[in-house]
Amino acid sequence: MSSLWKLLYSLKFTIFVIMTIALVSIIGTVVEQGRDAAWYAMEYSDRWVDIILKLKLDDMYHSPWFTGLLILLVVNIIACTIERFPPKWRVLLRKVDKVDTGIIDKLSHRDTFNLNKNTSEFKSTLIALFTKRGYKVKADDVSGGGIALYAWRGIIGRFGSDVTHVSLLLILLGAIIGSFAGYKDFKAVYVDTSFSVPDSDFEIRLDKFWIEYYDTGQIRQYNSNLTVIEDGKDLFTKHIWVNEPLFYKGIRFYQSSYGKAWDRVAEAELTLASKGVTKKIYEPIVIKWDELTSIPGSPYSVRMIGYLADFAYDYQNENFYTKSGDPNNPAANIVVYDSSGEQIATTWLLLNHPDLLGPIPGTTDHLYLTGYRPTHYSGLSINKDPGTNIVWLGSTIMGIGFIFAFFIYHKRIWLSVEVQEDGINTVKVGGIINKNQLSFDKEFDGLVAQLKLEAGVAETLQDNEED
Amino acid sequence: MDQPKVIMSLMFFTMSLAFYFLATAFYIGYWLTRKDWMGQAGTSLTYVAGFSMTMILIFRAVESGHAPFSNLYESMVLFIWAVTIGYLWMERKYKFKVLGAFVMTVASLAMVSAWLLPFRFKNIEPLNPALQSKWNFLVKILEPLGLEKYAIGWLDFHVFATFIGYAAFAISFAVAIMYIIKIRYEARSKKSFLFDSFPPSKVLDELSYITIAWGFPFLTVGIVTGAIWANYAWGTYWSWDPKETWSLITWLVYAAYLHARVTRGWRGKKAAYISIAGFLAVIFLYWGVSFILPGLHAYA
Ligand code: HEM
Repeated sequence: MSSLWKLLYSLKFTIFVIMTIALVSIIGTVVEQGRDAAWYAMEYSDRWVDIILKLKLDDMYHSPWFTGLLILLVVNIIACTIERFPPKWRVLLRKVDKVDTGIIDKLSHRDTFNLNKNTSEFKSTLIALFTKRGYKVKADDVSGGGIALYAWRGIIGRFGSDVTHVSLLLILLGAIIGSFAGYKDFKAVYVDTSFSVPDSDFEIRLDKFWIEYYDTGQIRQYNSNLTVIEDGKDLFTKHIWVNEPLFYKGIRFYQSSYGKAWDRVAEAELTLASKGVTKKIYEPIVIKWDELTSIPGSPYSVRMIGYLADFAYDYQNENFYTKSGDPNNPAANIVVYDSSGEQIATTWLLLNHPDLLGPIPGTTDHLYLTGYRPTHYSGLSINKDPGTNIVWLGSTIMGIGFIFAFFIYHKRIWLSVEVQEDGINTVKVGGIINKNQLSFDKEFDGLVAQLKLEAGVAETLQDNEED
Repeated sequence: MDQPKVIMSLMFFTMSLAFYFLATAFYIGYWLTRKDWMGQAGTSLTYVAGFSMTMILIFRAVESGHAPFSNLYESMVLFIWAVTIGYLWMERKYKFKVLGAFVMTVASLAMVSAWLLPFRFKNIEPLNPALQSKWNFLVKILEPLGLEKYAIGWLDFHVFATFIGYAAFAISFAVAIMYIIKIRYEARSKKSFLFDSFPPSKVLDELSYITIAWGFPFLTVGIVTGAIWANYAWGTYWSWDPKETWSLITWLVYAAYLHARVTRGWRGKKAAYISIAGFLAVIFLYWGVSFILPGLHAYA
């Protein structure tokens, strides 16, 4: 048990877990995610399909084994935090009762020089000097007239890693909350229709949808006006576009796509032609969806009640259907009335096959579909993710953790003044930094040069050599 | 449609290419001969190259009317610019000119690959809808000045932070290679004219860490701002698309590096190898994902 615990907080294990997650993540970028079994069967050989489906490589980032790896990382971080950090904190936050300058001989940055000054005067100089450099100082008088001094700064930098680790847990927590308490949905919405939002008590109506173009014909932006309806009343309307969602009661509505409807059009253009004794082609008329319109100069009125983008007839079930969403074979379903308002025919008019169905029954008049204007739907992504704000909070805290960890260094300086038998006082100074030795080399040399100046053993502040 | 005017930026690009080759040649000359004037020439030319790259970015912004990081070519310019600025800053601070031979070689190779991109990558394309994200408050501030098209948003921030990160990793990569060479010679304690002029391995290890300590936070900011932007544009902050996943992979490799450096038996050589692996992941993330793997990201 204890060796398992040891493993869980060992850094080697951490490196192993992190690298494993990194490596297996590659799989999901090579095998396309979220396709159905048939797609994989087409793309891969049987053996691979078997492996992909068994190991859930088709949705691997949500598979139990990948989740298991993430849990292992979380356990690892928690174990590490429990085991390593309290001792570190205790050492770091302990109050310095008595300065122990014995440590100086063990430090790699150290120097020794004489003091040509009165010790108590030197002590107040030192306190001022270190304070000015941003250090906290504790200076003790040692029996016999010496000084023991400890100066430190940037202790908060040592907590950067802890803050980072906690922030990581927060981000993962936010992700978990999102995956359990949230949902994603998609709705294709037509203008002037509304839908009730899942898991909520309000409705959304699409008032308008439009596309803006560049001069070159490329799409600049697509837009929708959405109205929130609550308790049967319009609450407010918002103009959304890509990157500018509507946010209401924790649910976001995004403009994510658009498309042409396959089962309706905005308008159709019909042309009437008489092929009897007197041949005549009438002026084309434009009719709106489901609106009774009379054809000027003729006894007919028409109403469009249906549309199919890729018209076909199903002989088995004896009905009409669309083979695809693309307008390969557009067809309009039209009801024809005579001058007395009597319904005389219901017919399908095909754009690409104008003469398929013959004249209006009992006449020599033909009706043709000669054009149409498609209706667009607005594709709305609907997303509820109550974990998002926790993720942002975690990210912000991570940022703070990084500033502490990477840009604030813990620096400690010890200094002793020893009174020797012959009356000459010697100064010993040593320092240590927790990381970034390179910048500390310079800083320490500068510090020693200044101390020597104050101690009266150097005339001027020499430029420290830089190699 | 009339051709967008990319003449100025292309001209500066051609000039920059020459500056990078020359600077690299002088730095390598300095490394091979130890003649100080060569090092001086290398440094001066690098300043000129950095300035010239800055001009490309400025002209691209003027020519295209948006922040100049919206395609592979522009982002390469940004990347090399950041490598150059980062390197110059490091040289000022630590004074190791031999590093220039390696870092500027990486920068020159990057220049060549940007240069070899087909023209359609270099031309200016209108932004597709998802790429138009601007901070509304900035648009409001700039509107009275007529400069609202230069307002930036999460996306620009995302690209900028990411590429500062990549640049830091590129420098760290060059330094890690030097480290691995150096430590072999130190271990054999043999004299070597070529490698004695490298800084001591301990120093190279530190430099590699310092650059990653810059790159890692920037990459993180890049990933988080990317997530914020995706949350606006696609409705979710994380969708495991290949680009996102690869940036997470890269991020994890560098997290492993940071921990390797505080682990007995892993600091030094193994850490240096992780740093090299990290940069290979960056290259794949940057070029490989765009050209090989399917996904929502266009380039960055
Ligand atoms: C992906 C997951 C992790 C990330 C992103 C992460 C991040 C960090 C960062 C940024 C640092 C500071 C490094 C530096 O200052 O150079 C750090 C240090 C550290 N991490 Fe992690 N960490 C992760 C997982 C873990 C785990 C699971 C452990 C448990 C063993 C751990 C243990 C440590 C330790 C011991 C330090 C050094 C602490 C110090 O010197 O104060 N980390 N981590």
